[in-house]
Amino acid sequence: MSILILEEVTKVYEGKVAHLAINQLSFEVEKGEFIAVMGPSGSGKTTLLNIISTIDRPTSGDITISGLKPAQLPKNDLSLFRRRELGFVFQDFNLLPALTVEENMVLPLTLDGRSIEVMKAKVQHIAEHLNLTSILQKRPSEISGGQAQRTAIGRALIHEPSIILADEPTGNLDSKAAKDVLEILSQVNKESKTTIMMVTHDPIAASYCDRVLFIKDGEYFNEIYKGDLRQTFFQRILNVLSLLGGGGVNDLSTIRLS
Amino acid sequence: MTFQQFAYHNVIRNSRIYAAFFMASIFSVMVFFVYSMLMFHPNIEDQFLRDVAFGGMLVAQVILIVFTMFFLFYSMSAFLQARLHEFGVLLNLGMERQQLNRLIFLETMILGFISITIGIFFGFSFSKFFFMIIRELFLLDSLPLYLSWKPFALTIIVFLSQFIIISISSVVFIRKKEVVQLIKGDGKFSEVATYKKGNAFLGLGLLVVAYSLVIFSVFHMNIFMSLLIIFMAIIGTYFFYTDSMLYILDIIRRKERLYWHSFRLIAFAEASIKIRENARMFFVVTIVSTIAFLSVGVVTSFTSFTAQYRELNPVSIFYASDWDNPFEEADIMKLSQELQREGLSYELVKFNVKKQTSSNSHEPVNVIKESEVNSLAVALKIPLIDLNQGEALLVSSTQVNFDNIRSGMEQTVLEESSIPIQIKGMYKHPIFPSFVIKNRAFIISDEDFSLLTEPLFGFGVEESKTTFFAFHVSDWLRTKDVGTDLDKIMTETMGISEVNPNPFYFVNPGLNFSVIRATFALLLFTGLLVAAVLLLAAGSFVYFKLYTDLDRDKKQYDVLRRMGVTDQELVKIVNRQLVPQFFLPWGLAMVHSTFSFIFLQAFWVDLAAVSIAMEMLIVLIVFTVIQVSYFFLIRWRYIAHIQE
Repeated sequence: MSILILEEVTKVYEGKVAHLAINQLSFEVEKGEFIAVMGPSGSGKTTLLNIISTIDRPTSGDITISGLKPAQLPKNDLSLFRRRELGFVFQDFNLLPALTVEENMVLPLTLDGRSIEVMKAKVQHIAEHLNLTSILQKRPSEISGGQAQRTAIGRALIHEPSIILADEPTGNLDSKAAKDVLEILSQVNKESKTTIMMVTHDPIAASYCDRVLFIKDGEYFNEIYKGDLRQTFFQRILNVLSLLGGGGVNDLSTIRLS
Repeated sequence: MTFQQFAYHNVIRNSRIYAAFFMASIFSVMVFFVYSMLMFHPNIEDQFLRDVAFGGMLVAQVILIVFTMFFLFYSMSAFLQARLHEFGVLLNLGMERQQLNRLIFLETMILGFISITIGIFFGFSFSKFFFMIIRELFLLDSLPLYLSWKPFALTIIVFLSQFIIISISSVVFIRKKEVVQLIKGDGKFSEVATYKKGNAFLGLGLLVVAYSLVIFSVFHMNIFMSLLIIFMAIIGTYFFYTDSMLYILDIIRRKERLYWHSFRLIAFAEASIKIRENARMFFVVTIVSTIAFLSVGVVTSFTSFTAQYRELNPVSIFYASDWDNPFEEADIMKLSQELQREGLSYELVKFNVKKQTSSNSHEPVNVIKESEVNSLAVALKIPLIDLNQGEALLVSSTQVNFDNIRSGMEQTVLEESSIPIQIKGMYKHPIFPSFVIKNRAFIISDEDFSLLTEPLFGFGVEESKTTFFAFHVSDWLRTKDVGTDLDKIMTETMGISEVNPNPFYFVNPGLNFSVIRATFALLLFTGLLVAAVLLLAAGSFVYFKLYTDLDRDKKQYDVLRRMGVTDQELVKIVNRQLVPQFFLPWGLAMVHSTFSFIFLQAFWVDLAAVSIAMEMLIVLIVFTVIQVSYFFLIRWRYIAHIQE
């Protein structure tokens, strides 16, 4: 069953110079899938993520998230929709600096007005799962990047959203912390069947996913599925990326031929 | 583009950021200039007035300078803080440190130049208006606009040197940092709000003790205590912001049932950071607003003082003369001449007062004739009295005496002439100064009065007589130049003692009032304008702070919006963040000034029986309205910015 369906989505930024950010993009994400979206800078990844996050509206085309069309919802309901159905993980964590790790994680639940007991139980459960129990009372400025990103994942998970949207979650982390975060994401994906859509530049990060979708200049370029081995999947991702490099690769081959 | 143009464009194209700053500094220059105009005015002849004007303006200007200095320094460093990234980029592009210093210096000087020019322009335009108000308040004949280099020079020198000092000190502020640090921006948000528990209790304790002392002092007035109270309140306020508030918030944050509730989580946590960061600013704003509220409040109370002063002193000029007063005739002549010279119409009522002994108290009392009282009453337009033979009205310097009379002492005999009289009641209008009444006096009917032939025991007929001269001048405020030499004798010989060594007693409420009035009027102007400058500046402090934190806040709200906070909820969160920033210093200032008014009220009662409760309420309400509208204005801009 598809949890996210994009049909012919197009986004044009009006202005002095009109800019076509996404052009007739269509794809589907299955429930429980861990999908990566890759593409060079300026390919429309962030725009795509914003549109799926429902904070930006497509110029044309249809989006369906768990059976609902956000474009038809009034603004207020849209906020409530995001609050309950979506979870976010950002490149620079975006934890609220004034809140402790624990408070950052319960934030989505407090916004939804849940009872203290429920919040306490959930935080306890997730903190154990993400190995954050010892730093629950610390502030974001007192913890490492890896811990901060794990906290952010905790915040994205706590209200059990139907889809988690991650924007370069490993972009600000060292390799050890990045590996940690990716393993947690794929573990969450496997154990609780949470759908995750991740935008990334990093082929290693992408290789943790079930499927990688490539876009270029706002258009669908290619997609590849994970086979059995992560190593070979990583190699295939690299191949597509070099193909994506576009003109350069072709230029190189013509020179070689001649 | 030359270097100078670059600096110029930096200022002009950022005018939106500088708007609040400009407004506050222009206004400050303007007020300073207007004060200088009055200070150097060549046409003020009155020596007293000149002293008051010069001294008052000087004090006001010093306050303005100190405050403007602080304000400029604070806002300049806030601006530079916000532009650190930009400076980093410039240095990265190869700008020399020396050039950067010059750039900042130039920019500050451009800001200063514009503020001074516009400020002086508006100042000069409003000078005439200001002089008109001063002329009315001081009852001067004319106070024309004049042109002299002095006020211009003073304003330009003072503000130019301020801007130079500021620009040099702000350069030092940048110099210490590395390029990398600059490019990364400040980023030094102290995320953890630390506080000392001891200081937290000290702050709260000092405030509570100060307030209790105020209440206590209402019953036991003590001037020395006021210094102690002020000192404790100031220290207490400081610790209240740096520690106590954070302590209180921390207690709330430990109670999850209270704290983990929709937006409270964000609001409280943010509040504690903002309070920690702005503690010093809140402190300054609180103290400054308290002073502003107070000066305006005291001055407003003056309007009611005028009315009540008139009620307490209905007779414009009063002269009491003993039987052996050799100056009587000359003095009365002189007073009449002076009144004529001033072009004031007057009515003179002469009272022939006889002294007798009252059988009740066995003390000498003054006895006044009914028809004479009535002729003054006609002039003053107060109800006439009608006494039959044997009836009397009591004139008393105090209210309590009347109660004693009611309880059985209504009959008395004027012993020397054996005239029995019945005391009908009390004469309610204070037409005689309490000093000449001493204990008590009776008004009796003309028939009885003519029967008073016997002198006071042990005195001759002439010796038991006194004469009162009451001048009624309807334009009583203009009598300040009448009887100045008599007034001088009175103040010199009597001083503060209650004994009058002169054979006469003279009082001119108009003159006394003009002294009080001039002092208060000056306070009014200094107070009002300084308060206006301070309020504007306090508001723009908050505005800068919001503006410099805007990028950070924007990002935070973006995260919140993604997490599903609706627009209405966002406004609620913004409210909960802005409200304490606006109303915490203001609220504490309100409480401070309320207690100060209570203190003043206690003090005031000793000076004159005037209540300032009503005026106090009006002042507090007006300030509330101003503050609330300022809050809505800033909130509107802030929300517009973060939703961009």
